[in-house]
Amino acid sequence: MLSLILRRLIQLPVIVWVIYTLTLILAWAVPGNPLENPEGRRPPPEVAAAMKAQYNLDSFPRFYLSYLDSATGLRWARETLSGEGARRAEAARGAGLAPPARPVFDLGPSLKHRDERVASILAGALPVSVSLGLLAIIIAVALGVTAGVVGAVRPNSFADLATLVVALVGISLPSFVIGTLLLLVFGVWLKLLPVGGWGSPVKMVLPALTLSLPFAAYIARLTRMGMIEHLGSDYVRTARAKGVGELAVLFRHALKNAFLPVLSYLGPATALAMTGSFVVERVFNVPGLGQHFINAVQNKDLFLIIGVVLVFSTMLVLLNLAVDVLYRWVDPRIE
Amino acid sequence: MTRLLVPLLLLAAALCAIVLADRPMPRADLTLNNGQDPTTLDPSQVSWTSDLRVSRLLFEGLVANDVFDPGYGIAPAAAERWEISADGREYRFFLREEARWSNGEPVRAGDFVYAWRRAILPDTAADYFTFFEYIEGVGAFFDWRLGALDAFARDSAEMAPATRAQAARDLWAETERRFGAGVGLEVVSDRELVVRLTHPVPFFLDLCAFPAFFPVYEPLVGQYDRLDPDTGRVISGAGWTKPPRLVSNGPFALTVWRFKRDMRFEVNPWYWDRDSLDVRTIEITSIADPSAQVLAYQTGAVDYLVDVNAPYRREMVAQKNAYYREHQAEHQRLVGEGWDAFEIDRRLPPDPRGLVHITPAFGTYLWNFNCSPAMPDGRPNPLADARVRRALALMIDKRAIAEQVRGLGEPVARTIVPPGSLAGYDSPEGLPCLSDCRTETEREALIGRARALLAEAGYPDPAGLPTIELEFNKDSGHDLAAQSIAKNWQETLGIPTRLVQKELTVFRDDLKTHNFITSRASWYGDYPDPLTFLEINRTGDGNNDRAFSNPAFDSMLDASYIQTDPAERLAGLARAERLLVEEELPFVPLVHYVNVSMFDAARLSGPNPHPRSIQDLSLFDILGDGIGSDEVKRVAREEHR
Repeated sequence: MLSLILRRLIQLPVIVWVIYTLTLILAWAVPGNPLENPEGRRPPPEVAAAMKAQYNLDSFPRFYLSYLDSATGLRWARETLSGEGARRAEAARGAGLAPPARPVFDLGPSLKHRDERVASILAGALPVSVSLGLLAIIIAVALGVTAGVVGAVRPNSFADLATLVVALVGISLPSFVIGTLLLLVFGVWLKLLPVGGWGSPVKMVLPALTLSLPFAAYIARLTRMGMIEHLGSDYVRTARAKGVGELAVLFRHALKNAFLPVLSYLGPATALAMTGSFVVERVFNVPGLGQHFINAVQNKDLFLIIGVVLVFSTMLVLLNLAVDVLYRWVDPRIE
Repeated sequence: MTRLLVPLLLLAAALCAIVLADRPMPRADLTLNNGQDPTTLDPSQVSWTSDLRVSRLLFEGLVANDVFDPGYGIAPAAAERWEISADGREYRFFLREEARWSNGEPVRAGDFVYAWRRAILPDTAADYFTFFEYIEGVGAFFDWRLGALDAFARDSAEMAPATRAQAARDLWAETERRFGAGVGLEVVSDRELVVRLTHPVPFFLDLCAFPAFFPVYEPLVGQYDRLDPDTGRVISGAGWTKPPRLVSNGPFALTVWRFKRDMRFEVNPWYWDRDSLDVRTIEITSIADPSAQVLAYQTGAVDYLVDVNAPYRREMVAQKNAYYREHQAEHQRLVGEGWDAFEIDRRLPPDPRGLVHITPAFGTYLWNFNCSPAMPDGRPNPLADARVRRALALMIDKRAIAEQVRGLGEPVARTIVPPGSLAGYDSPEGLPCLSDCRTETEREALIGRARALLAEAGYPDPAGLPTIELEFNKDSGHDLAAQSIAKNWQETLGIPTRLVQKELTVFRDDLKTHNFITSRASWYGDYPDPLTFLEINRTGDGNNDRAFSNPAFDSMLDASYIQTDPAERLAGLARAERLLVEEELPFVPLVHYVNVSMFDAARLSGPNPHPRSIQDLSLFDILGDGIGSDEVKRVAREEHR
């Protein structure tokens, strides 16, 4: 187990480096000038060229190396060793001001929102996306497993059919339709829940519910299939023959095994719920990561594109690792 | 089974921890939506109108625009008075003694010079660099520094790291010396600043009121500047605009800025005019979705929407007009009495339809003609001939675009400068278009005129013209405008046309490289002078997408810089605009834009309906909340008439 974790953690920087290189090549090829206001005045060409040079956007190799230099902490180490960092902090204190922040791993500025460091954008948006994604997954598991068990206990009954229809709707309807529908019903007509924004648990309910439905639907189908399979298996028949109560058969025997495919689905699903909530974020005005991803690509905001991609890929690697570890822990038969 | 529950419990615990760490703030005196998040608060870098509005809240220039003066006059701000030399080339500003930064330090003349130097240096220059070129020596200094940086990049490759660092420092010392000696800025004392211009600029005070000319606090911003030994450039780091670091000199100070969530402002305790402010706290929420913005207003989450952009805003505008029609007599009387548009809404019976406000904007929707001699594919360009452009301009149904495509009640445009937006400027007549024809005979005559123009240009059969492409980006209904124009050209003259839709960044690149035949365009003015619209048609101007060149037009613009009599000068510029919109037609003006905002005029005072639409958020007041004067601010009546 420990060697698995170690091996994956050692692979992580290599994976991240390859992803950085590929992302930068692709993002660099996107047409357009990220420093340009698409509806406004264009500065004279020599000023536009000087602006690009300010961010090393005039040379691919220079950008590639300088990003690696600051993102890996090399620049920080150099400035610390040479005493440059201490000198700056001293100068700031001399003027009665807080010294400039000096992060070890500097992911650069955003090119569209030039006052923002990518790291602070990510730090602000990540908790939002993570909590929204987590709540959505919790709701999805609760809804999905319940529906799946109900369906499996009485296959082809009315209850089974009903959950099948709901699951089908959950998977096929895009979240901007479901989101807007929920918003209209609960926010505007019933006035039970706020129409959007972030900052209190009650504001999380609608976006999390919207986000959870496709996952809930998939989990319901996985659970139902697994349950039907296991309920018909020999060990369940044996348990019933031994007089084990129906509830215990369902939950202690069948569900325990039927849940394993759900568990392995939860890894990518959690990653997807945390990172793929762009539409939901937009409909409910949630300040999460997804919007930055889309906007960054549209604005050709190189630093932000790379930052978001690196965070997403790191999360995916780590969540997959977490699921593998959990899986072994839940079912020790797996090597 | 217990083992199965553990992962779920872990998820729930993580969730609770995150939610508990995030506490909401109490509601501010005034909450508004700024359209979009500011891209930067660094005055030298601002570019978007949303940036400009926030800039005016946080910083204060030497002078300010008096937005409730019908003529948008200049009012003292950080400078209490100023003197202009007889030749109009030297401005002497006297800073007020009480002007303070938000940390209590006095605002000094040197703070302006430092800020302007950042805007002028190629290392940190940005979109509004051209505004600084009016200052003596700026062009030469910029070119010298650019050349020196290029030379440095060439030579430094062979240097040892230590020599390179020293060479970069030497270059910077030389740069500072040249800036001090060559650029027409002189700090006489901490409270006296002299600016020398290359030639008289009648609107220079308006530029000084523009955020690009606002000061920054050198002890703070200097901390973030770094001399890059590899390139010799000064690299200006981000981060100093974030609270609690930001030090500013405007009416409000920034206390919270959570990216894409909210910004919170509190009165700057050191601001010299703090007692006249009517709100103590302002919150700018960040709601990106246009429909969600309207919803936020309707549920009371925000008090003011600067820009209504919801897909159903045409209907909102139509309802507002229906509301005016219902109270027509009352409305007419109030207009006759000379009240401003917002005051009229305040006096009409309350109605939810009255919350939407439509005011003229300082911008025009245009259709570009490429004037280059050759088309992008290398064939001769028929549009290089002004007669062809004029014929095409005549054959557009502009009212259909205003009413059916846009539907916001925008006035049809014949000129590029919106008429009535500049005091003392008489707009030229401009060309008629299809929608000006009231009868079929008039229409036939106009079509005949267009055909005659084409025949003169060598196209007796308009169908023989090469296919005219109409290029646009897919957003904002430009596709519908293009369809409407293409249909006009096909139906009236039988010209072959083709619609070309591009993604926005590709579209922008096509404009820049003149790789189009005709295209959609728009232009907003930055300062109150016709030049802000006319300069973009000068030969070689960075925003001359049309590749238009007419030496006579250029020299008319040059003449406006020498002419000292203001009325004569404006008349000269009107002649230049007449040349553009009646003879040369490098573009067709389609409609003059309007601004659609949303607020309850009976509850909120402070927005002004001026055609140049500078909203000074620091003047806003929630009426009847017991904070500030609670008195309505309005445009002076007798002059407004």
